[in-house]
Formats: sequence, structure tokens, C-alpha cells
Amino acid sequence: MTSMRLQRMPLAPPRVAFVLRVLSVLLAIVTAALVLWASGHNPLALGAKVISSTFGSSFGLEDLSLLFSPLIYCGLSVAVALRIGAWNIGAEGQFNFGALCATGVALFVSGPVWVILPLMGAAGMIGGALWILIPTLARAYADVSELITTLLMNFVAMLLVYWLATGPWLDPSGMALATTSRLPVSVPAFWGIVHWGLPIAILIAIALSLFVTYTRWGYEVRIAGANPGAARYAGMPVRTQLIGIMLLSGALAGLGGMMEVAGTVGRLQGGISNNYGYIGIMVAVLARAAPVGVLATAFFMAVLLNGGIVLQSQGLTTHTVLAVTGLILLYAAIGDEAAHYKILRTKAKDG
Amino acid sequence: MRDSASVQQRLGLTPGTPPLLSLKSVSKYFPGVVANESVDLDVYPGEIHALLGENGAGKSTLMNIVTGIYKMDAGELIVDGRTRDFASPTDAIEAGIGMVHQHFKLVRAFTVAENIHLGWPETPKRISRNSLETRTAQLATDLGLAVNPKTVVADLSTGEQQRVEILRVLARDAKLLILDEPTAVLTPQEARELFTALRAFTARGNAVIFISHKLEEVLEISDRITVLRNGEKVATEWTKDCTEKSLAQLMVGREIVLTETHKKSAARAKAAPVLSLSDVSLKGEQDTVLKNISFDLYPGEILGIAGVAGNGQRELTYVISGLSQASSGKIFLDGEDVTRAGARALAQKGIGHIPEDRLHSGMAPTLSITDNAVLREYGAPPLSRKGWFSPRGAANLAREIASIAEVMVPDFNMPARNLSGGNQQRLVARREMRIAERILIAAYPSRGLDVGAINTMMRYFLDLRDSGVAVVLISEELEELLSFSDRIAVMFHGEIMGTCPTDKADVETIGLMMGGTRQEDLP
Repeated sequence: MTSMRLQRMPLAPPRVAFVLRVLSVLLAIVTAALVLWASGHNPLALGAKVISSTFGSSFGLEDLSLLFSPLIYCGLSVAVALRIGAWNIGAEGQFNFGALCATGVALFVSGPVWVILPLMGAAGMIGGALWILIPTLARAYADVSELITTLLMNFVAMLLVYWLATGPWLDPSGMALATTSRLPVSVPAFWGIVHWGLPIAILIAIALSLFVTYTRWGYEVRIAGANPGAARYAGMPVRTQLIGIMLLSGALAGLGGMMEVAGTVGRLQGGISNNYGYIGIMVAVLARAAPVGVLATAFFMAVLLNGGIVLQSQGLTTHTVLAVTGLILLYAAIGDEAAHYKILRTKAKDG
Repeated sequence: MRDSASVQQRLGLTPGTPPLLSLKSVSKYFPGVVANESVDLDVYPGEIHALLGENGAGKSTLMNIVTGIYKMDAGELIVDGRTRDFASPTDAIEAGIGMVHQHFKLVRAFTVAENIHLGWPETPKRISRNSLETRTAQLATDLGLAVNPKTVVADLSTGEQQRVEILRVLARDAKLLILDEPTAVLTPQEARELFTALRAFTARGNAVIFISHKLEEVLEISDRITVLRNGEKVATEWTKDCTEKSLAQLMVGREIVLTETHKKSAARAKAAPVLSLSDVSLKGEQDTVLKNISFDLYPGEILGIAGVAGNGQRELTYVISGLSQASSGKIFLDGEDVTRAGARALAQKGIGHIPEDRLHSGMAPTLSITDNAVLREYGAPPLSRKGWFSPRGAANLAREIASIAEVMVPDFNMPARNLSGGNQQRLVARREMRIAERILIAAYPSRGLDVGAINTMMRYFLDLRDSGVAVVLISEELEELLSFSDRIAVMFHGEIMGTCPTDKADVETIGLMMGGTRQEDLP
């Protein structure tokens, strides 16, 4: 007599994990298709439409890239903080404030482009770091959960951007009602409308990944993130590391904001962050906080977002699109856990 | 196999007396592990039955099944002749099975009387302080366990708290009392009192299951011994027929050479102390956890620290290793003031530290075995050069440490938490011994290891000592301290009660100091 038993393995075999990831995405798409079909749409036609308008033309691919880039910055921002055991829910706010600071430089400092652009990048990063400074210090010195503080700071940053864009910094030409004037400098494009923000993001992801694996500091961050007690035991400066990494996290999101305003949008306006900061949390979690993994998951989320835009143009509501995204995450989480299990066939003992 | 008639006769029971508790091929599986496999066990009225096994042998799982905390996956549980399937611990208590856990489940702010009556169906509906105390006093006399009903539990010594726990269990008409490592928290004197109470309890026709991994006390207290290994029952033996050696062999499954005696290192030259503590105190969150500790530690000696766990031993290791900074007093390493040096500097100066709670303070359980193995040496060549870290160098070092630690590692990228407790301990111990050029602090190094591995580790400590390293050995096993240390200091409530050379020490005086008597006040 044989019986079957599930056994949990300590490590998920990478191949199984990958297959289950793919399977979970397919399953989510099938589920979504069933729901669409039940509500009277033709899922096959919709699917074909999404694929053709995303990958079928260079315009689609350019749009995709413009979504891809900010998701990398925000995903990296969240992932880096996760590495030291902090949840940066505030990439959204840091993105906004980074964009705001970069805009300030562009509007009020004049000089040659090769001076202004780096200055804007620096302003974006400093802005992002500043926006996470208070949550960071509160966490490091008073053990206040950064989960709440970073989230709350988001609203402040968003409102600040709205106020500046519709008030003091409003385009004086009267052409725009809720944005600043067009920035005098912009991040140059290298392919259609795709600007250098994307390759820089990819380079940063690779650099961070090397940093974690190949530097002494990276090792310390891994230890401190996994168990601060062990880091203290080994005499590592845990608090300094926490502060440093959280500021870096803010700076990455801030740089994303700078690239967005100076590369993609060209003006500072309310809602410029487009929820990239929040989606970045999903990107980082799906990538298990691995910087190179962020590239894959950010691309995947970009495809979803772009598909969502296409679907909306076909008369579907935002909620439907969000539901599909949620389904994929849910299935992916189930798949990840399932990858740990192995089916054992055991011979039951007699008696 | 002996027929049961002879078991009952040898226990002085009428032939045919059914066992109080009988387990028939009980199995319990957890994901990835077999916790118990076809275990048979009979416990008869009037016997003290010891359950012996290494950590992870399945003793606790088995008892959790008997007390209704876990449900078994296969097998039968028979209590007083009736097949039972406990749905909850309450069912087990109603069936007359009570357990005293290692960590007491008492409300510290309540009095003894209140604790006894808490959550007890027989507590009268209308109560007064007086009635509770009278009832408790009555129970205490009936059951022969002396307690003062009026005392608040927090004011009791650990031994007295244990007595309250036992009283609480017995008050609920337990016929079978299960004790999980009861002596771990007791001084030798308190342990002896406990044994007397247990004998009185079984003399009334009740039974005790006594879980332990201490061979010596099992031989002293029990009538029969069941040995578990890897979740399976290895044997049930009459205690009279056992020796420490035969039991150790049953537990571990192979012949072990128990280290004969400790060979004194070549007479210690009156060298300068490697470490001096002068009047060191440490304030905790509420009270002072270390009080005016002064001692010298000499190169080439093993200083044993005895004491019931929780009397400041952990804090002492923290202060010496730089994890905590003394609130007052000074610490000198080779004559240099290192009171504020910090953990990293002290590790670099050659202080290794095997921490008490290795999984949570000495390791990062979710990170790979490699990351954990290099925790002490990651910062220096060949692992790090100019801020660059070499994963390959780390992997090599991890392999090296694992091989001398005799830990079989299937995959060095596996999270360290997937190693067994014993293997984690071995890995941490070897990692620390590598850097311990001056001092090794070993807090409860034998916890989680089997008898054979303890011996191997202790022999390494002796080698370290003979090469001139000073070892601070903290242990709750007096036997271990007496056989391996050169001097023994006894801690109580954050103070050192006294220090004496091991050859002049005896269990009696150490026990008194563990209970709070100062050396100068000893009779």
C-alpha cells in the first residue's frame, strides 16, 4: 500500500520555482479571461489587442519603456530598504519630492545643460533622501516603525507637488492650468521618446547587485538586514548601516522622480508619480529584494500597466485591470510557497 | 521482550494491573521530519519512568501527544484501560494527565493560592482571599508539598515556583505527572527535595514520566528508563540494569568514550591575568543585572561559571565580549582598558564568544550557511580587500569550518536555520574557536549536542586551554564544570558568590552558593 505525503523542502529548486512562476502568471491570465468572458467580453480579442499594441509597434515598445524605467527606480528603492529589513512604503513620496527638487533646479538655476542635468540628478537624489530622513532617524533612534511614517510622508509630498504646480510654480504663460512651465532642459532621448533614464536605471540595478555580493559593506548589510542581533554580535555598526541604506533607498526613488520629470513628462504636475512608488513595493517583493530580479519584475509590471491602459481604451474599468494585477500576485505567492513542497510516496507499514 | 506480568511484579503490583498509560505504535510526522515513529510505551502505577534522549529525539513531541497538545498521526493512546484521543489539553487534564513544563505557566503577580485556583473548574463560585488560602494550605498538606499560599509567585525561588506548578497539576487530580527537564532550573539541594516529593507521589499509586537528558539523575530517580533516538524507541530498561555508559550508548547509538578525567594543564605559571574585571556592574531595564563583579582570568585556564540560568551569566558574557557596556567598573584585556572597546575590537583582539542563544544572536538564520560561517572573518583578507568581498573566499572558508566542525552540509547556500541545533552549535563553536586567540567565552556550549559531541567539544576546549587560551565556560551541568574547569565561580542574582579551585570544590558547597549563600558565609 502506498500513501502520498507532502514534504516541505528548505530550498525551492530554482527550476521548479521558475516553472511555477510562469504557471501562476498563466493561471491568473486564464482566470481573468474567464471573468472577462463571463461579463460579455471576448478575452481572446482583448488579449490579442494588448499584445499587438504593446509589442507590435515601436510606439508600443517606447510606451512600455517609459513605464519600465520609473518602476525600476522605485522597485530598487524598496528592494534596497528590504535588504536591511526596512519597509519603504514611501517611494511614492520620495519620487514626488525628488521630482520637485529637480524641477526647482531646472526652473531657478541657469547654466549649460551638462551642468544643470547632473545638478538636477543630485537634487532629485538629495530630495528623495531628505524625504525619508525623518522616518529613518525615527526608526534608527526611537524604533518607530518606518512602515507608517514613510507612508504618511507620501501624502505630504503629493500635496506639496499639487500646490506648487497649481500655485507658486504654475506656468506663467497661462498655457497650462495645473503644471509648471516646460523645463528648459531635459534628459536626452536615445530611441524615439525613450530617454537615458532607462539605461541608467539598468546600470544602477546591476551595480547594486554587485555591491550586495562583492563588497564588504554589502555583506554587512545582508547580515544586519537578516538579523540585527547577529550584526551587533559581530560588532557591525548596525544603526549607521540602517541610516545609510534607508537614505540610499530614498535617493533612488528621488532619482526616479527626477528622470520622470526631466525625461518623460517635461513639467512638474500633480500625480506625476502615477503610483509607481506603490507598484514598486510589488516589484521589490516579487523580486525578493534582488536588484537584478527587480529588472525582470519591473518589466513584467510595466507590461501589465501598459496592458491595463490598452484594456481601458477598450472600455474596461481600472478596477478590472487592478483585479488582474492582484490575481497575478496572489498566484505568484502561492506558486512560490508551493515550490518548496515535494510529493513523497511512502510505503505504509503493515499493521 | 519481557512479559508484562514480570514488569508488574517487579514494580510490586498485582499481576494483571493495567498500565496507567499505554502508547501503542504512536507516530507523528511534521513536514520534512518524522518526530515519532511507532513508539510503544507503558507506564504503570507507582513507577517513575524516565524518558531519555538527545535534543530532537522526539521526547517533547511524544509528551505533547500524551497531553493533548498534538494529535498523533497513527497509533493508539490508552489511559486507564480506555482508548483516548485527546482533542485538547483540557481533555488530558480531565483524564488525569498533568504536565509541568520547563517554562512555568504561573502568573507572577498573583499569590500562590490564586495561581492554584486559576482556571480550575473546582474553584468555588464565591471566593475570598481567606477561603482560597485555606484550600491551598489544605491541598499542600494533603499532597505533601510545602508552599506558603500567601506569597506572591514573583517572590519565590525557581524551585518553589516549580513546587507551585506541581501542586497546581496535582490538585487537578493528576494520576500521571509529566516533568520536562525539571532539574535544569534547580540547585542540587532543590533537586533532592523534588525527588523526595516525587517518590511520595508515586508511593500513593500514581506515576511520573521524567524527561531528561542527564544520565546521572535519571539513574538516581527512575524505576525504568525508555530511550528515544531519532523519534523511535530504542529500548525500555530497568534502571537497576543500566549504567551511564550503557545509557549514553543507547542514546547516541554508538560506543562513546567518556572523557576520563580532565588532565590539569601544566602548572599555570603565575602569569599576568589576560582579563581583569574590576567592580563591574550593569544596569538592566529595571534593576541591576550585574553587581560589582571582580575577577581575574589567567591564560591557560578554564574558568567555570556555575549558577541557575538567568542569574546574570548572559549579561556577564555580553560585558566581556563587548556586546554590552558596563555601567560602572573597568575591564582590562592584557592590561589595556577595554571597557568601551565594543564587540568588533574585542573580537579582533582575540575574544571568541559562543553565545547562549546562538540561532538568534550568533547567526542570521535566514542567510546561507556560508554567510554565517564567515561572520567573524569577513572583514579581513583573504575575504575582504579594500572593501571588496570575495564570495569564493567566503565559500572556501565556510567549507573549511564545516569540515573541521564535522558538519555535513549538503548545500552551503541553504539557510542556516535548516541545520539542526547541534550542527548550528558545532559551526558557531568552530567559528569562534578560530578567532579565540586570547579568550573563548562559551555559554552553554553543550546544549543541543549529544554525549559524544560534547566530549569532542570539551576536548577542543582543553586543547585551547593547553595552548594558553583562557576559556570561560558557562554551564548548568555541574558535572561538566567539575570535570573540565580549573576554577569554578558561582553566580547568583548578578553577583559572584564565590570562586574556588575545582579540586577543592564539591557539589554541596557549589549548590549552596547557587542558592545564594556567600562563600564566606558557608558552614
